[in-house]
Amino acid sequence: MTASNPGGLSGSATGAASARSSQDPGLAGLEHSIARLLGVGTYISIGLLAVGVVLMAGHGIGPLSGGPPFDLTRLGPDLIALRPAGFLWLGLLAVVATPAARVAASLVGYARRGERAMAAIAVLILLVIATSVGLAQALQG
Amino acid sequence: MIEGLLLLAAGAGAGLFGSLLGLGGGILIVPLLTLGFGLPLLTAVGISLICVIVTSSAAAGVFLERRVANLRLGMTLELFTACGAMVGGLVAFLLPARLLEGLFTALLMYVAITMVRRREASPAEPVGQTLPGAGDESEREAAARALRPPAERPARSFVDRLSGPEYRVRRIGFGVIGSVFAGVASALLGIGGGLIKVPVMHVVMGVPLRVATATSNLMIGITASASAIIYLLRGGIDPYVAAPTAIGVFVGASVGSRIASRIDLRVLRGLFVAILLYTAWQMLQRAIA
Repeated sequence: MTASNPGGLSGSATGAASARSSQDPGLAGLEHSIARLLGVGTYISIGLLAVGVVLMAGHGIGPLSGGPPFDLTRLGPDLIALRPAGFLWLGLLAVVATPAARVAASLVGYARRGERAMAAIAVLILLVIATSVGLAQALQG
Repeated sequence: MIEGLLLLAAGAGAGLFGSLLGLGGGILIVPLLTLGFGLPLLTAVGISLICVIVTSSAAAGVFLERRVANLRLGMTLELFTACGAMVGGLVAFLLPARLLEGLFTALLMYVAITMVRRREASPAEPVGQTLPGAGDESEREAAARALRPPAERPARSFVDRLSGPEYRVRRIGFGVIGSVFAGVASALLGIGGGLIKVPVMHVVMGVPLRVATATSNLMIGITASASAIIYLLRGGIDPYVAAPTAIGVFVGASVGSRIASRIDLRVLRGLFVAILLYTAWQMLQRAIA
């Protein structure tokens, strides 16, 4: 994966990137930070899922045997007991949370830059995500 | 154990194909899980959403690093894709599985026909979700273009701020409508929605194709998250199946992005169209059975 080193841009492109960065270092810094956040989030997610899969194999659990439903209260005990479900669910939560973390980071970045419209959009996106969680939990109950 | 390896291989194949052909893996993951492993359609869609988020996050990071994706435009439109995805995620649990299978059949047919029509097009014209290839020439050109000294036009209005140095975003309203549809389609069918977003941004809104593709990739993460959360909390995601499939897709897409420039995509595209048509036939039989 090339998340941290995007495949080696040519000298001209990277040179141009530097030129643009000097014109708007704040925006370049924000995008760079978000890129790093997405890369790290992806690797953490995949790492947790990989640990879960290894533990599944160790416990002799077949993937088509039907996994346990998501239960937040079991997450901690499952992780402590090194049960695969704990790592799998934490990994899946990390997958889903990574884009939301990107929006939260954008919110902070745009707010610092004084871009109120973009900061407001970031808040609204996070509200939509929160509403999704709320509606799903309400319907689940 | 064997089943786990098969899921890993299936995910890797979907990620590899998707990456090489510029389509998201979602178009293949759902049929693979339903037809190949006998999973219910909703579970397959939920797992596919997880896979497209993983690929999107990895790709979006690279696109942002290269400064090809338009973060402001992506965030503005993803507010509406997320709304569409939230509605789609809620509706998906109310619709009969046969209707969703019928919709998926239509999607497969549409993609197959689109690929036949684009047979002569350059391989560097992805329409869906893809990981950026290393050293992609057209991408470097796009990056260089985007990084030239800013145009004379000062960024005053909100639309100016959404635009790039060499293009001005237009018809935002169409972009909003397209984004809502893309979000609904993503949530119902487990796809990234790039099939809708990229043409809308490029053709209707005047965004250069490479920027539209990168920005669409960026948006997929939040779009799919808004509905994946609903699937996750309502029992629509099986962690035992999701994990090996997502890892496979991640690996396959990563490999695909590195070897894309060395593969003759004409043969691959023909094979892919055949697979899509066969899958569409199988899905149709399932829908009307």
